[in-house]
Amino acid sequence: IHLLSTAAEPWPENAALYQQLKEEQILLSDNASSLAVQAFLQMCNLPIQVVCRANAEYMSPSGKLPFIHVGNQVVSELGPIVQFVKAKGHSLSDGLDEVQKAEMKAYMELVNNMLLTAELYLQWCDDVTVEEITHPRYGSPYPWPLNRILSYQKQWEVRRKMKAIGWAGKTLEQVLEDVDQCCQALSQRLGTQPYFFNKQPTELDALVFGHLFTILTTQLTTDELSEKVKNYSNLTAFCRRIEQQYFEGHDKDSSATVAARSAKRSLLR
Amino acid sequence: MAAPMELSCWGGDWGLPSLHPESLTVMAYAKFSGAPLTVNTISNSWRAPKGDVPVLISEDIVISQPAKILNFLRKQKYNADYELSAKQGADTLAYIALLEEKLLPALLHTFWVEAENYCSVTKPWFASRIAFPLSLYLPGKMSREALNRILLTRGGPPPYSLTEVEAQIYRDAKECLNLLSKRLGTSQFFFGHTPTTLDAFVFGFLAPIYKVCFPRVQLQEHLKQLPNLCRFCDDILTCYFRLTVSGHSPSGQDTADANLQKLTQLVNKESNLIEKMDDNLRKSPQHPPRKLTTLKLAAGGEEGSPLNRLSP
Repeated sequence: IHLLSTAAEPWPENAALYQQLKEEQILLSDNASSLAVQAFLQMCNLPIQVVCRANAEYMSPSGKLPFIHVGNQVVSELGPIVQFVKAKGHSLSDGLDEVQKAEMKAYMELVNNMLLTAELYLQWCDDVTVEEITHPRYGSPYPWPLNRILSYQKQWEVRRKMKAIGWAGKTLEQVLEDVDQCCQALSQRLGTQPYFFNKQPTELDALVFGHLFTILTTQLTTDELSEKVKNYSNLTAFCRRIEQQYFEGHDKDSSATVAARSAKRSLLR
Repeated sequence: MAAPMELSCWGGDWGLPSLHPESLTVMAYAKFSGAPLTVNTISNSWRAPKGDVPVLISEDIVISQPAKILNFLRKQKYNADYELSAKQGADTLAYIALLEEKLLPALLHTFWVEAENYCSVTKPWFASRIAFPLSLYLPGKMSREALNRILLTRGGPPPYSLTEVEAQIYRDAKECLNLLSKRLGTSQFFFGHTPTTLDAFVFGFLAPIYKVCFPRVQLQEHLKQLPNLCRFCDDILTCYFRLTVSGHSPSGQDTADANLQKLTQLVNKESNLIEKMDDNLRKSPQHPPRKLTTLKLAAGGEEGSPLNRLSP
């Protein structure tokens, strides 16, 4: 990222966020990441349009989703996007002192380390979910046999990664235990505050919202994952608060409002 | 509760009880919580390390990863965290995640992937502690696993390229060290005056970077610019591992003495040999006549020497 040229240009009106097809293709983990970025940009008050493309993963410079296309720059993943936005002069964490910034970064890594990895595990290493949800969805825009080949290739890649970090030997129960531990830590950190750093939301709030909201509102083969999150009432209240404040009444393209309509049915159960 | 517990892990050098971050974490936690562990360092014997190291063996239970070992110790009532509040417990998890995501790749790279470091320090050290045929294979395998882990977790889309990843992981590691330093501030441990799980993990990751002497040391140099983290490591080493900062442990002293003895014996043998050579030289018939008077005198000093035959 060339920061000098970045800072010079203001945020354009036609900035776009690319993700996979909402209804048929996108998976739990990518949806969570995409929602986190959308929440972050809404919190910064930067307009963004969500564009759905079947080949979004291949368009991304790092292979990971989501990515944003702003002016003539393409930036992917939440971390680099936060830095890019900061170079343009918008930041949510400027008001934090050094120790708080360290804490914020640590908690963001906790979410990436535990929640995101657990989501990936569930999608690609749990055979039931893989058969019933992941394989049909992941390759759905493509004709046979390409759809099967692509999803097997991706599954192989993810399983290699799980093996390298030591998650391949875990059972589903152990993974859910880890999710519970992570949610407990987040819940204790949040306490009774509206946001993690009291009055103002930061990128940590956006990230946590993206993951928790997606877990709560996505239909999987079992409800165990969302049950783990529902055990912590302050987390569900937190998700509802952010949804109401940043996603309702905004443009219809936002995937959160679409999910929100189905969410209302499940959150208020 | 009093079941004997044995920990099998990699040994240490350069003033550390262990070079392996995970082994060091477990050892540190055991010291902090007062758990009575017998530590068996893996040595050049046929008891090859099976699977993951460190391994805790208690009666019939075998546990292998640091997080699980620590859980087991806590269940046995050796808990270093009982004074922590819920929020501090949450912070512990978060900072451990930060260490694993941001610092561990660079640590693995310094030890196992950086070619100069690996060939001149890591490989010989580990190979010398593993029995013969395995020592040809195991260090290479550990190196490949480290590279794999770095590329799979941080590398971009295939073809994975190491050079771009390298710069990024060292940047992240330096940032992580800065964050830890800011969080530690001026206090002795991360949560006040008693060390906890988080201190064990931070110590386990930082001490090898701090102490091991590598040819390529950019991470160590960065760490040395953060004096509170260096002081943190030194404090734990002196208080809990009873090692002086220069690294002479009591057992180290014994081996030094034994070495000294051997050396003295060698020197004595050498001086005996030199005396004998001197004798032979003087006995040799090629000496010029003018030396005979000296020889005679010298011959007079030596007992029963065959020089008597040469006397004029």
